[in-house]
Amino acid sequence: MAVLEIRKISKYFGGLAAINNVDLDVFDSEILGLIGPNGAGKTTLFNSISGFYPPTSGKVIFKGADITGLRTDQIARIGISRTFQQTNLFMQATVFDNVSIGFYMHYRQPRWKAFLHTRSAKNEELVIKQKVTELLDFMGLSPMKNELAVNLPHGHQRILGVCMALGSNPELLLLDEPMTGMNPTETLVMVDLIKKIRDKGVTIVVVEHDMKAVMSLCERIFVLNYGQKIAEGKPEEIIQNSEVIEAYLGTEEE
Amino acid sequence: MLYVLIVLGLDIIIRVCNIFNFAHGHIYTLSAFIFWYIYISLHLHPVLALILTLVSMVLFGIVTYLTIFNTLQRRFTPAVTFSHRLLLSAMLSIGLMMILGRGVLLVFGGEERGAHAIFPQIIDIANVKLPLQKLIIILVAWVTMVGLFFLLYKTKTGKALRAVSSDADASSLLGINTIWIGLVGYTLACVLAGIAGAMVVPVYAVTVEMGSTIIFMSIVVMMLGGIGSYRGTILGGLIVGQMMSFGFQFIGGLCNLAIWVLFMIIIIFRPGGLLGEVLD
Amino acid sequence: MKFSTNQQTSRVIILFIFLILLVMLPLVVTNYYWQHLLIMSLVASVLGMTFSMIFCCAGMVTLGTGAFIAIGAYASTLLVMKLGLSFWLALPFAVIITAMFSFAFGLVAIRNPGVAFVLLTMIFAEIITQVTGQISFFGGWGGFIMIPRPNPIGPIKFTGKLPFYYLMLFLCLLVVLVFQALYTSRIGKVWRAISLSPHLAQTVGINVYRYRLLAFVIASSAAGLAGSFYAHYAQTLAPSTFGGFFSILVQLYPILGGINFYILGPALGATIMTIVPEFLRITKEIEPIITGLLVLIIVLFYPGGILGSITQLPRLGAISISKRLKEIETWLSNMDPRR
Repeated sequence: MAVLEIRKISKYFGGLAAINNVDLDVFDSEILGLIGPNGAGKTTLFNSISGFYPPTSGKVIFKGADITGLRTDQIARIGISRTFQQTNLFMQATVFDNVSIGFYMHYRQPRWKAFLHTRSAKNEELVIKQKVTELLDFMGLSPMKNELAVNLPHGHQRILGVCMALGSNPELLLLDEPMTGMNPTETLVMVDLIKKIRDKGVTIVVVEHDMKAVMSLCERIFVLNYGQKIAEGKPEEIIQNSEVIEAYLGTEEE
Repeated sequence: MLYVLIVLGLDIIIRVCNIFNFAHGHIYTLSAFIFWYIYISLHLHPVLALILTLVSMVLFGIVTYLTIFNTLQRRFTPAVTFSHRLLLSAMLSIGLMMILGRGVLLVFGGEERGAHAIFPQIIDIANVKLPLQKLIIILVAWVTMVGLFFLLYKTKTGKALRAVSSDADASSLLGINTIWIGLVGYTLACVLAGIAGAMVVPVYAVTVEMGSTIIFMSIVVMMLGGIGSYRGTILGGLIVGQMMSFGFQFIGGLCNLAIWVLFMIIIIFRPGGLLGEVLD
Repeated sequence: MKFSTNQQTSRVIILFIFLILLVMLPLVVTNYYWQHLLIMSLVASVLGMTFSMIFCCAGMVTLGTGAFIAIGAYASTLLVMKLGLSFWLALPFAVIITAMFSFAFGLVAIRNPGVAFVLLTMIFAEIITQVTGQISFFGGWGGFIMIPRPNPIGPIKFTGKLPFYYLMLFLCLLVVLVFQALYTSRIGKVWRAISLSPHLAQTVGINVYRYRLLAFVIASSAAGLAGSFYAHYAQTLAPSTFGGFFSILVQLYPILGGINFYILGPALGATIMTIVPEFLRITKEIEPIITGLLVLIIVLFYPGGILGSITQLPRLGAISISKRLKEIETWLSNMDPRR
């Protein structure tokens, strides 16, 4: 049963179709890879789903409910989180603070209680702190939890980004090029982490360029080119798909 | 009508130099006083006075830009956002405004200077008597604007100005010296205000508060017309200028209020102004 | 809190001493004029804090401070003079009325944060000035004079400056308490996130609009509170009292004092800007020039404001602004008691 159904989504910028009539299903607890050459529309697809801008036409259905065109924070609230292609963090805050904000959705106490610093509010803070610490452990960021985000090495910053997205306890996680700029060691760590996250029950869609990572990580792959789907299937099939190879031939300059 | 020149200047400064210049109104006042002084007190020929005034505006522009605004701007890295730059330079301009406002008062004295028409004749066109002086103002304003457009769209410097106003960082990558262009833009705006200031002397009384009143309206006008487009600011300036003169005669006091409410409504529905783009 | 008990205790002690000093102050300073200045410093401090809240938490520049203090002042005046309410009732009502106005305004205006918002606040301030001026029910251009002083509470009569001082001190501390409580709660956390990156905050599920509106309404209500006090203290009120460049000047308080210190910064800046010009009374003529120069120097060389620079002690002189701000942020986040 599909967790996320994307029906005939198009997004036009002016007269240009960034994505055109795309259909996509994402199934529970899978890791779906979304690949395609640069400019294929992958990030646009993410943006349309996650409320950055609404699609020009088409529907997005999440667990049976139509979520097309909802605002970013509403999308976060119903259980979809995303990371960004460009490292998007609260740079001037510590790692701990960054992830704490990610847990914003966990606050149940009403705001006025927080204002009055009642005992229940304070307790909740402690509970959240605990959860943050656990998540940092899980992702391996504990040693640097008091470091400013801006001082972290690039790979750790990417992991922190994923951490923040996890804070809201999402059921669906959209990762936009999480391995960008990572060396092979860091990539392996990230692949491992993503698998661990999936094992906790989160459905994941990954946009990536690093083919090795994609192959080892994803159970299913969806290929976009010029805003349209050109292939879908298991990694072994995709590698051999002639259209996919052609689409990438231009970018494979090695 | 003169609003247009000032508003254009403001617009240029914002887009080319990334400065929200609160002091612009006082620059206008300054030039009016300078012109008055040169023309009236020194009894020099009006055209000569105009030239001298503009020269002094150029000097003023160069000095203030280099000492004040540039010192700030040199420290901006591309990471500093546009609105942040605007804010900080707005602070600077407030400081300048205070200094300038009181400075003009001290140097020139605080009395109101009466109008001193250079061309007191009245022209009779189709039974409507129009003062030649005001016609000249309109003429000069239009000539200036045409000249400005010529400069912006036909000359190399103009192109550079427009390039920097759309994207300063990209322009510097292309080899345009943004600091120099910023200087040019700022001085140009000062000259525009200078022309306006000189033009106003023969017609209206010149006071030291002129600057404060006019800057407020100019900011509103500019935002209404849209910061992004020159056409918009001109349109805004014309509309508001006319509205203020005519509206006042018809509706009187409440007219003011109505105008402001109207402004607010316009901005709410069109945050970019009538013709401009949304910033931030 | 991560502070050790010792640090916490010493902080409380310092605060306590400071409080005592404030309370004793007017007993030492007996000159009427100076007492007036102290009272005005308190008023200005509150206003500065409101600007800080809106700027640092909502990330928006407001030129509407004048509008809301005017609303508070006029509301209070009208309630007392036309409806015969006692000042002590009028005060809370004035705050509520200001809150309603700011809520209504914010509802519409905050949808356009950024330059459009600044413009809207400017226009709103002008509208308020026009409304109070044109309509005679609101006093017209002449405004109100002989606004009654607050009714005596028990034996305390509001003659002379002392009672006003303590009243304003109380109100000021009230505002400080409320603001501080907010800043140290999770609301403050959210605000800080919004100020660092509104887009990212939105992605995490924070309804940025709502939090901005909250900051705006609370800050504006505080301004209304100050306005109500001012009306009954100065006993005169006209549209021009809070007009024009008033709102612009308020910005200077937090910048002078230290933009990153939400409460102390504006308080320090406000006090300085209220009191120092009096020292230079001989040079009253060139006072704006000095203020202007001061502004230039601060923005160019000490963008952290006074407090920002003091806490940076070793470094004086010009270094890159963004770097300077980063350093301040670093220092602050290491001090952050909210962790």
